Amino acid sequence: MTGWTGNILRINLSSRSYKKETYDEAFAQKWVGGRGFSMKILWDELKPGTDPLGPDNKLIVSLGPIAGVPAPNTGKTVVAARSPLTGGYADGNLGSHVTSQLRKAGYDIVIFEGIFDKPGYVYIEDDKVTFFSAQEVWGKGTYATLDWLYAKYGRGAGILTIGQGGENKALFSVVRSLEGRAGGRPGIGAVMGSKLLKAIVVKGTKEIPMANPDEYKKLGATDLKKVGALDKESGWSKQGTDGILAWCNEVAALPVRNMRETHHKNAWMLDGERVDAARVATYGCPNCTMRCGITVLDKEGHESELDYENIGMLGSNLDIWDLAQVASLNYLCDEYGLDTISSGSVLGFYADAIDRGAIKGDFRWGDAERAKELMRLISHRDGEIGNLLADGTRKMAQQIGQNSGRYAMHVKGLEISAYNCKYIPGMALAFGVAPIGGHHKESWVISFELKQTSRDSYGREKAQKVIDLQRIRGGLFEFIVSCRFPWVELGWPLENYAIYFNKATGLNWALDDFWKVADRIYALMNGFWLREYPNWDRSMHYPPMCWFDPSNADKEGPIAGKILELAKYEKLLDEYHDIRGYDNRGIPTKRTFQALGLSEEMKQLEKYAALK
Amino acid sequence: MKILVKMIGPFIYDAGFNEKDFEFSNPLSVEELLSELHLKQGRPKIIVRNGHGIGLKDQIADGDRIVIAPIYSGG
Repeated sequence: MTGWTGNILRINLSSRSYKKETYDEAFAQKWVGGRGFSMKILWDELKPGTDPLGPDNKLIVSLGPIAGVPAPNTGKTVVAARSPLTGGYADGNLGSHVTSQLRKAGYDIVIFEGIFDKPGYVYIEDDKVTFFSAQEVWGKGTYATLDWLYAKYGRGAGILTIGQGGENKALFSVVRSLEGRAGGRPGIGAVMGSKLLKAIVVKGTKEIPMANPDEYKKLGATDLKKVGALDKESGWSKQGTDGILAWCNEVAALPVRNMRETHHKNAWMLDGERVDAARVATYGCPNCTMRCGITVLDKEGHESELDYENIGMLGSNLDIWDLAQVASLNYLCDEYGLDTISSGSVLGFYADAIDRGAIKGDFRWGDAERAKELMRLISHRDGEIGNLLADGTRKMAQQIGQNSGRYAMHVKGLEISAYNCKYIPGMALAFGVAPIGGHHKESWVISFELKQTSRDSYGREKAQKVIDLQRIRGGLFEFIVSCRFPWVELGWPLENYAIYFNKATGLNWALDDFWKVADRIYALMNGFWLREYPNWDRSMHYPPMCWFDPSNADKEGPIAGKILELAKYEKLLDEYHDIRGYDNRGIPTKRTFQALGLSEEMKQLEKYAALK
Repeated sequence: MKILVKMIGPFIYDAGFNEKDFEFSNPLSVEELLSELHLKQGRPKIIVRNGHGIGLKDQIADGDRIVIAPIYSGG
């Protein structure tokens, strides 16, 4: 087996012990890496009902066969666990030196089990693992922690850490790395915090095994330059991901005031031109030549690395139009280790609930200073408000009651990213069926809906497009573990990723082979949900109900009076299930499980719930 | 016929403006409008009128707000 190291590092924090295990080629080819490895390991090793914040949950760090080896843009690491926010399988990927360092240390997978008896961090150096105290930085933010670790291990070391949000188990806390990199939206930071694991540091010195190392390195270096040139030619990095904000405003997809509205006259104040004009630095992930981390100074003078999702959710969604204040909220998310999208959604929901009289409170739309204080309360779970908000929108709505669940903007408990879909049926479906909850990384179809189809249609082609993109975005890029941006933003051909994979592994896969792996992983992710929640029904694949409420339609603008229709959405969902080979609950049928090579998993699942 | 054209992202730098009013004496199609704007050839575009996608052959009407953007793919 080449391309993969074939090695798993299993670390038990309770006993401060570790062991090296191996996996075989059949496992490698069936699950490939990253999300695939994590999903299968959590399926096999977690008992149903495992407390996500207890010692029995497992934190997985996993990589893929092209991760960490120079090629566009392979500096990503996957972190995964059972989510404390959603209860389902959860993962995220983030740019980090962990990617190359861990592979050089000889591992593709690290499994963290148990719990430290006091705050600590783990240092992996090739075959040796050492356990250290983190008392000195426990209670501190991620920037101070990173600086503390850089001083010990250098800036090239692979480091993952958490902030106060993770320590205090805020349910949407993330794992952090580098200047502004974060991943694990559904609370992977809280899982780390529950294990009293402040940081993971990795250094490796070995060669990464590859079938054709010289060819690969030459090709990778050439293609990195080509992607850089493409980026320069296209001008994409000038505004980065925030280029889309002005467009979302024009097509009525911008989140404004907890997604009550879809556009705003002040949107220009946060658009890509403004962000570019405020730029003081640009950061990116390792092995990247299209760096997207446009960095501006926040209100307090900190460097803050912005992207569209941060700006949409912490800016327009809160009715805050001062870019420096948005940057401050973004900085605090990074410092505390909280997810920016969920933070914006939680604060927006809180302001909305107050505005509607469902709860008493002093947070109003546009109040950036109070939002900053609320961020502190959330990250420290300080008081009644801090605890309420730290649990995310779904649990907040359960606590607040008053029918507030209708405007709690989440799917399966994970807050929806910065695309307001009250009149974008295909994208509403993409959010609804996303297997980790309301995340845009699985599938994004808005351009397709506007350009290739009619915006108001609910045709089968939209369900097919959602699936096509899930296979690429939620599949391929999550299991070979590579950033999707060269393909997404510059049109870098997908076929190149098959070439990289084949040169790394010595195999001869075509893209269709990857789609089958993607479908397998998606099937098991849905199986995981059913195992945890045997009463699961198709409503788990619905977007928020306010997107179907005629009284929530825009009063003016491009989609005035328009709103999604539930009956038509149901039909679109049926089309999705039909193409996927899922039953009407959204669970793979027995035939589908078998066709995807999941017969054993199917039998295990049948112990908990009936399959069709 | 008066229309407003808004550029998004990299097209702002190609066209040299963010948004601008145009006046045409004769009716024209989206394709004809694009040729007036001197954008880089070949770059895929999505054209939107009043929040809805339109094609190259569609006719532009007085008072339209035409938005020209690259094909965004949601980051």
